Amino acid sequence: MASALQLVGIRKSFDGALALDGASFESQAGEVHALLGENGAGKSSLMNVAAGLYAPDAGSISIHGVPIALSGPAAARQHRIGMVHQHFKLVKPFTVAENVLLANPQPHFASGIRNIRAAIEKQVSELKFSIDPNRRIDTMTVAEQQQVEIVKVLVGGARILILDEPTAVLTDAEATGLLEIVQRLARAGTAVVLVTHKLQDVKRFADSVTIMRGGKTVAKLDPRQSSAEELTELTVGQTSALPERTPHQGGPTRLNVGALTYTRGDGRVMLKNTSFHVRAGEIYGIAGVSGNGQAELAEALIGAIEPSSGEIWLDGIGDISRASQAKRREAAIAAIPADRYTYALAGSLPISDNLAVAQIRSGRYGGVIKLDRAAIRQDAATAVKDYDVQGVRSVGQKASLLSGGNAQKLVIAREFSRNPNVVVAHSPSRGLDVRACAAVHQRLIAARERGAAIVLISEDLDEVLSLSDRIGVMSRGAIVGEFERPADRQAIGRAMVDHG
Amino acid sequence: MRQDLSPWKQAAFVGASLIFGLAISIAILAAAGIPPLTLASELAGVLTAENLRGVLVQAAPLILVGLGASLAFRIGFWNLGIEGQMIFGGIFAAAISIYDVGPQATRLLLMGSAAALGGALWVLLVVFLKNRFRVNEIIATLLLNYVAMYFLFHLLYGAWQDAKTAFPQSSPLRPFERLRDIGFGINSGLLIAIAGVLAAGWLIHLSRIGFYTRFISANPRMAKIVGVPVQTATVWIIAASGACCGLAGFVNVASQEGRLTQSYANGYVFSGVLIAFLSRNDPIVIAVVGFLIAVLFITGQTLQVFYQIPFTMVQMIEAIIVMAVASSEFLIRHRIRWLR
Amino acid sequence: MNLGDFLINWIANAPVTAVPYALAALGLIVAERSGVLNLTAEGLMLIGALAGAGTSLLFVGYPAVALLAAMMAASVVSLLFAVLVVVLRINQVIAGLSVVFFCQGLTGLIGTLAKWQNKQLSGLAPLKIWPLSEIPVLGRILFMQDPVVYLTILIFIVVNFLLFRTMLGLRIRAVGESPAAADAAGVSVALHRILAIVAGSSLIGLAGGYISVVSVKLWVTGMTGGRGWIAVALVVFARWAPWPALAGALLFGCIEALIPHIAAAGIQVPQYLMLMTPYLATIAVMIWVGAKDRRANQEPGALGQPHVREERR
Repeated sequence: MASALQLVGIRKSFDGALALDGASFESQAGEVHALLGENGAGKSSLMNVAAGLYAPDAGSISIHGVPIALSGPAAARQHRIGMVHQHFKLVKPFTVAENVLLANPQPHFASGIRNIRAAIEKQVSELKFSIDPNRRIDTMTVAEQQQVEIVKVLVGGARILILDEPTAVLTDAEATGLLEIVQRLARAGTAVVLVTHKLQDVKRFADSVTIMRGGKTVAKLDPRQSSAEELTELTVGQTSALPERTPHQGGPTRLNVGALTYTRGDGRVMLKNTSFHVRAGEIYGIAGVSGNGQAELAEALIGAIEPSSGEIWLDGIGDISRASQAKRREAAIAAIPADRYTYALAGSLPISDNLAVAQIRSGRYGGVIKLDRAAIRQDAATAVKDYDVQGVRSVGQKASLLSGGNAQKLVIAREFSRNPNVVVAHSPSRGLDVRACAAVHQRLIAARERGAAIVLISEDLDEVLSLSDRIGVMSRGAIVGEFERPADRQAIGRAMVDHG
Repeated sequence: MRQDLSPWKQAAFVGASLIFGLAISIAILAAAGIPPLTLASELAGVLTAENLRGVLVQAAPLILVGLGASLAFRIGFWNLGIEGQMIFGGIFAAAISIYDVGPQATRLLLMGSAAALGGALWVLLVVFLKNRFRVNEIIATLLLNYVAMYFLFHLLYGAWQDAKTAFPQSSPLRPFERLRDIGFGINSGLLIAIAGVLAAGWLIHLSRIGFYTRFISANPRMAKIVGVPVQTATVWIIAASGACCGLAGFVNVASQEGRLTQSYANGYVFSGVLIAFLSRNDPIVIAVVGFLIAVLFITGQTLQVFYQIPFTMVQMIEAIIVMAVASSEFLIRHRIRWLR
Repeated sequence: MNLGDFLINWIANAPVTAVPYALAALGLIVAERSGVLNLTAEGLMLIGALAGAGTSLLFVGYPAVALLAAMMAASVVSLLFAVLVVVLRINQVIAGLSVVFFCQGLTGLIGTLAKWQNKQLSGLAPLKIWPLSEIPVLGRILFMQDPVVYLTILIFIVVNFLLFRTMLGLRIRAVGESPAAADAAGVSVALHRILAIVAGSSLIGLAGGYISVVSVKLWVTGMTGGRGWIAVALVVFARWAPWPALAGALLFGCIEALIPHIAAAGIQVPQYLMLMTPYLATIAVMIWVGAKDRRANQEPGALGQPHVREERR
C-alpha cells in the first residue's frame, strides 16, 4: 500500500542558508509518525513544505503514491493535508465557530455558523475535547486554542494531520491527554505526523520515528525497539573532545538571578522563577530548546524588558531588574543579543557611530555642543583592527554592509570596550561561519580570563559544552538542572529533549 | 543580503516621479481651464529679478516650517500642528509689541524668542497629552490648529483689534519691530531661515543630541539599551520643531504683514510635510525645496489675483507630488526583487 | 425665550448636526475594520460636499441624485487611497494626509472655477411621521427630521448586519484582526481591504453631501471645517463599534448644535471661544479614553500595518 504522505529529496534554502538538504519522509495512514530532531534540524521546514507554505527548491511530494504539486496552503487543504502550527493561525477576538467558519467557508453566515457549530460539536465529542463553539479565542488557554486548531483542520476534512511541536505549550497532563487523542485519531485511519523534540512523547505514543539533523534525514526507526540513549545520540550527535583550558578559579558571585518571572503580553508566562548565579571568571552556559524562555531571559538581563518579579542582582550595584537607565549604564553589562540588528546595531548608521554610541554620554567623544568626530573615527579604526573586523573599507560605511560574523565582531568590540564585569551573550555564533565562530569564542574566553562573569545562552549544544564552566538547562522558564564541566552530553541532551 | 539600488538610480526614479506628478498637476489645471502656456508664462514671470524678492521673502517661513516638520518626523512624532504653532509664534511675538516689552535694541530678539517659545509650548502640550494619556498626536495637533485659529480670531476681533481700522488685524508693529530688507532685496527673515538651516546642520552633524536622534530614529530599541536618553532627547527635539514653526509665524508677521493678521499661517501644514518628506531631513535640501515651494506659492498667489484660481490649488499640487514620490519608493523596492 | 423652548430647539437640531459625524464615523469604521488606518475622512467629505452641491445645482430638485453623486464621487477618489496603501503599500499616514490635502485643493479649484460658491441649494424637506409628529416635544424632536436622519439609522442597522452577520463581514474583520490567519484561510487580504475602503468611503461621501445639500444648503470652500478629523477621533472613542459611534456622533451633534443656539438665545459668550468647543471636546474625549483604558485599545489587531505574505516560497 502506498504511503499516505511521501517526501523525497527535499532541498530548500532561505537567503543562501540551506535549511533542508535532501531530506526524505514517509508516513502511513493509521500510524503516529514522529519527526524528531533539535532546533534547526529542519523538521518544521520539512512539514511546511508538505503543508504548501514553502515551495521546495528540489524534491517531490506524493500522496498515496500520486505525485502532487502544492501551490499554496489552500491546495494542501484540498489534498486533505492539515497542519497545526506552533504559532496558531487564529483570529483572537473571534469565537471558535467563527474561526472554523473562516477556514471552512459556507455560502451563508447564519446557516453556515449553525452547520459549523454542529460539525464542531461532533468532532469535539469524538475527540473528547471540551470546547464551547461560542467562546472567544482570547478567553481560552493555549491548550484549548490548540484544540481549536485541530478541530478546525479536522472539520475541513484532513486525512493527513501534521502537528508542529504540539506539546511545547502544554503542561504534562495536557500533553498526555492530547497525545492519547492523537493516537486514537491515527487508529481511526488518519496519518498523523508529530513534529517534536521530546523523547518521552516519541517513546510513549509514536509508532515510528524519523530523526533529522542538520537538514538531513539520519534515521528511521521503531521507537519501541530502540533505547532512549540510541535515540538521543542520533538526535544530538556524538560527544567530541573539549578544548583545554585553565580550570575555573572560583571567584566572588558577580551576577545573581533570583526567582525571575515574566509574563508576555499575550498572557503566556515565559519565565517562571528562573534562578542561577555566575561567579567572576566563569562562563555559565544556558542550554535548552528555544522557546523555553531563553529569549526573555536575555532581554531581561540586557534591559529590553522588565520582569514581573524577581531580581537581577549585580555585585557592587544591586538589583537592576527594574532600575533606571542611569543605573543600568553604571552597571556596564556587555550585551551580545541574538538578533544583531534589533538590539545591538543600527544598520543604517556608520560603523564608527555604532561603536561610539555607548560612550557618548561619558564625554569621551566631546561635549554636548560639538562631537569629537576625529576621536570617534580613531577609536573605531583601532577597534576594527583589534577585533579583526573584515570588510571595512571605511569606518564611515553603514553597519548593515558587514557580513554576519564581522557585524558580531563589531558588537563585541563595542561591548567589550569598557571592560565589563558581566557579559550576556545570546546565541553569539548564530549564522556565523566556523572562523567567525572561533573568533567570538576566543573573545568570550579572553573575557573569562580577565575575570568577567559570562552568561552564555545558546541553542547550539556544542557551543555551550565547549565554552561553559557550568551549564544550566532551561525548560519552561526555569533552570531545571545544573552540570559542572566536563559535562555529560547525553545527560544534558536528555534534560533538554526530555523534560516533561 | 540587502542590495540598495545605487543612489543615482534612486534619484532617477524620484526625479521621474516628480515630473510625473507635475504633469498630472498641469493636466488637472488645464482641465480646470488654465492652459499650460499661461502657467508657463506666469512661472517665468515669477522667476524675474523683481519678483525674486517676493519669492525669497516667501521662502523664509517655508524653510523654517520644513526644518520644524523634519525634526519631529525624524524622531517619529507626527507634528501636524505647524499652523497652530505658527499662530502662537505670531501671537507671542505680537504680545511683546502690544505690551511694549523691553528696550528697542533688543526688541526683535525678544519677539523672536517669544515666538519660538510660543510654538514650542503649543507642541509640548501635545507631547504631554501623548505621554500621559496616549492621545494620538496626528489628530491632536490637527485639532489644535483649529483651536489656535479661533483664538487668533478672538484676539483680532476683540482685545487686539486695531481701533483705527475695522479689520481683524492688530495695530501695526513699530518700525524697529519689523524685519527689514538688508540690501539686494533680501529680507532679514531669510537670514533667520538661513540661521535655522545652519542650526539644523549643527544639530544633525555636530551636536550630541543629533547623534542621539540618529540612533533613536534608526533603532529605538537598541538606543534605549545602549544608554541613549531617549525620552529627554525626544522632548527637546520636538520642542525645537515647535520653535521653528513659531519662528516661521514671527517671520511672516514681522516681515511682510507688519502686524498680526488672520491668514499668515494658511497653507503651511502640508507644505511642511512635503518639504520634510522630499528632503529626507537634509537641511540644505530643505532650503532648496523650500525655495521651490516658495516659487509655487508665489505662482499660486499670482494665479489667484489674476485668474481667480483659489490658493488651495497649491495644496493640491503639493499632495500630488507627495503621492507620486511616495509611489516611486514602491517601484524602487520592487525593482530590487526582480533584479535578484 | 424660556428654557424649555431653548432646549427643544437645540435638541431638535442635534440630529442634523449629528448625521455627518455618524455617517463619516461609520464609513471609517468599515474601512478600518479591514486593518487600514484611514485619515482621509476630511478630504472625502469635502469631495462629497462638492459633488452633492454641484449635482444639486445642475439637476435642480433632485436632492437624492445629489446625495448619490456625493457617495459615488467619494468612492472614486477613495480608490486612489486604496491603491496607494494596499497595492503600493505606502505609509498610511502619509497617504491619508496627501489624499486629504489633494481633496481640499481639488474641491476648492473645481468649486471656485465652476462658480458654485454661495449658491442656494434646494435642500430636502423634513419628513413628518404623522401622527407621531403631533406629540408635544418628542414629536418635534424625533418625528419631524429630514429623511436622511432616518436613513442614517437604517444604514447603521444594515452595516451592523453586514459586518457581523455575513460571510463578507467575517472576512473583512478577519483581515483587520489577523491578516496572517485570514491569508492562511485563503482570504484575499488586498481585495477585502480595497472593498472595505471603497464601501466605507461612500458613506463618508454621503456625510459630506449631507452637509452641503441638506444641512447648510450651499457650498463654500473648506466647508467641513475639521469634522473629518473629529470623526477619526470618534472612531477611536467608539472602539470601532457602530452603535457607540452613533452615540458619540449624537453627543458631538448636540455640542455643535448648541453654538448657534446660544448666540440666538442672547447669551453672551465670546463667539470664537465658542467655536473652539467641538475641537476641545474631541481632545477631552481622547484624554478620557486614554486615561481610563490603561490596557491596549480595541483597535483592529492589524491596524496600520501593510500586509505582506511572508515571502518564504
